[in-house]
Amino acid sequence: MAFERKPARPAAPRRRFTRRKGCRFCGDKTLKIDYKEVRNLRYFISERGKIVPRRISGNCATHQRQVTEAIKRARNIALLPFTSGHSFD
Amino acid sequence: MRTYETIFIVHPDVVGDQYAATVDKFKGILTEQGSEILKVDEWGTRKLAYQVKKQGRGTYVLVAYQAGPEVVAEFERRMRIDESIIKFQTIYLEKGLEVAPAPAASEAVAEEGAEAEESTEETE
Repeated sequence: MAFERKPARPAAPRRRFTRRKGCRFCGDKTLKIDYKEVRNLRYFISERGKIVPRRISGNCATHQRQVTEAIKRARNIALLPFTSGHSFD
Repeated sequence: MRTYETIFIVHPDVVGDQYAATVDKFKGILTEQGSEILKVDEWGTRKLAYQVKKQGRGTYVLVAYQAGPEVVAEFERRMRIDESIIKFQTIYLEKGLEVAPAPAASEAVAEEGAEAEESTEETE
């Protein structure tokens, strides 16, 4: 059976997103992670409301954990959505 | 004594005197149990990220206070009973309440405030 194997996909560009490397909270010590400041947390959630992983956000482990905790707290008190699928109005 | 921070969302239909009475009532619940209120911040009515008790809006109130754990339990019990409170969340502030610099200050002043804040933290 002439089952041609698809040629291996040409190497995808290594970096799809160009995001700044390094933890922004380590770089700027004045930045505070607070679950009430939703505007700062928006950067770390996707359009669907998911938390952006560390490999993309570039946060260090400590700060990613703090961000995650803050987002979850904000979700609990309806400041951030759990998902974008339940829009109302 | 521990420092706690409670956010509660008041039903959007509770307005005016009724709303003021509700906030006062819950402040009273805290003080009558011997806790010290550090901060009360009324954010006003804002849109919720998702519906809570079929409401799309809610009036946020933030209260920071010093109290023991049993006060929090009683406070939350009373909030569950009151139907004008649609949601609440209590957070334990390990570092205590951080004094935020004046909101309507220019950037330079805000930076100074942040520095001052840091130094006070160190001295504590």
